[in-house]
Amino acid sequence: MYTQFLGNYLLNKGYVTKEQLIEALQYQKTVHLKLGVLAIHAGYMTASQVEQIHIMQTHKNERFGELAVEAGFLTQEQVDFLLSSQKPDYLLLSQALVDKGYMTTAQFEKAMMEYQSEYEITENDFTDEQSDKVMQLIQHFYKLENDSNSELFSQYITLLFNNIIRFIGKDFTPHEAVRLSVYPTDKCVTQKIQGEFSTQTAIDMNEDSFIAFASRYAGEEFTDNDEYVQASVEDFVNLNNGLYVVNLSNESSIELSLEPPISQFDTQLNENIEYFQLPVTFPFGTVNFIITKTKI
Amino acid sequence: MTINDLTVLVCDDSILARKQLMNFLISIGCTNIIEAANGTMAVEIYKSQKPDLVFLDIVMPEKNGIEATREIMEYDKDAYIVMASSVGTQTNLREALKLGAKDFIQKPLNTAQIQKVLDTIIEGGC
Repeated sequence: MYTQFLGNYLLNKGYVTKEQLIEALQYQKTVHLKLGVLAIHAGYMTASQVEQIHIMQTHKNERFGELAVEAGFLTQEQVDFLLSSQKPDYLLLSQALVDKGYMTTAQFEKAMMEYQSEYEITENDFTDEQSDKVMQLIQHFYKLENDSNSELFSQYITLLFNNIIRFIGKDFTPHEAVRLSVYPTDKCVTQKIQGEFSTQTAIDMNEDSFIAFASRYAGEEFTDNDEYVQASVEDFVNLNNGLYVVNLSNESSIELSLEPPISQFDTQLNENIEYFQLPVTFPFGTVNFIITKTKI
Repeated sequence: MTINDLTVLVCDDSILARKQLMNFLISIGCTNIIEAANGTMAVEIYKSQKPDLVFLDIVMPEKNGIEATREIMEYDKDAYIVMASSVGTQTNLREALKLGAKDFIQKPLNTAQIQKVLDTIIEGGC
């Protein structure tokens, strides 16, 4: 989950371009984490020490770990620990950016420190992927702290992102939210959630993205915007909202029900309520997830 | 009883969800499959064809899966209905099982769960 937000941070701070980020997100599937990046992340080595070892490697046929121990930058215990410990997912993105030459190890070190400090995230949080920490990150990222619907919104968005990762893919970058009173749709699927509170949810994108999104969810290669494509996007919305309703029922005893999802192409969502638009960029295009302020 | 002997009604408003479930049923040798896109159709088809097994979604237009279960069970108390829905809330679970549904599968469906349902029916000789 943190990978996607780190991507946004690197983009907004100008460390990488959108094209570089998209390329690295695709490339990260095949990337192998190297000891240098792990050592910087763990705080065992500085970027300049890693660079020194890289230079030594160009004229000595030894492994990074062996050279770092010889140079006194790492102990053997630290090497063993780095190799055996659980690696946070977002490091793959960092490694991909370094491998592609889009960031230096020094820039990676600086960006990591700034990011962790700005979002008050510790190294342990990254490894644990605890849901309450993820919710905090989401509240902070989308500036929800002072919103009356903060908890419901952040629960919803946390689940949504987990489902995007699970069913569509990890290779996306979230962008800051936009608040609107009227939402003009392109290829859009909406679904109402009703009960102890009510809210409208939607997913909207251009036609090419709609077909690509549907293809990923269904696990089939669609080429035209036909009824299967529409059904696939509707199924994703229905599944995500269904799981949200189940979670609230199980964890908070809040009982809600769903109306069937509806496709609303080239029209306007306008129910005199604030729309909260969450844009997310995939390599195939931008997908807008929309939720409304709840009516209690 | 074998899988070949079973007539299965697949009711879901999503054409994709129906296709995916039907593809799996066909892949394991089930040949008698009927489709319905909402609860109204499911009740009508049940009454006319009396399938051995019904997979019913809950959130559907016209008539939802809970209402359809009620009507099918009133017509045939031995109907074998399995709810297959993303909305497996306590309320829906209780309601469906109280009405007589035999099982509840939370979407996304996995084929092992479907296979288990079929094994139970075939072993039970329903």
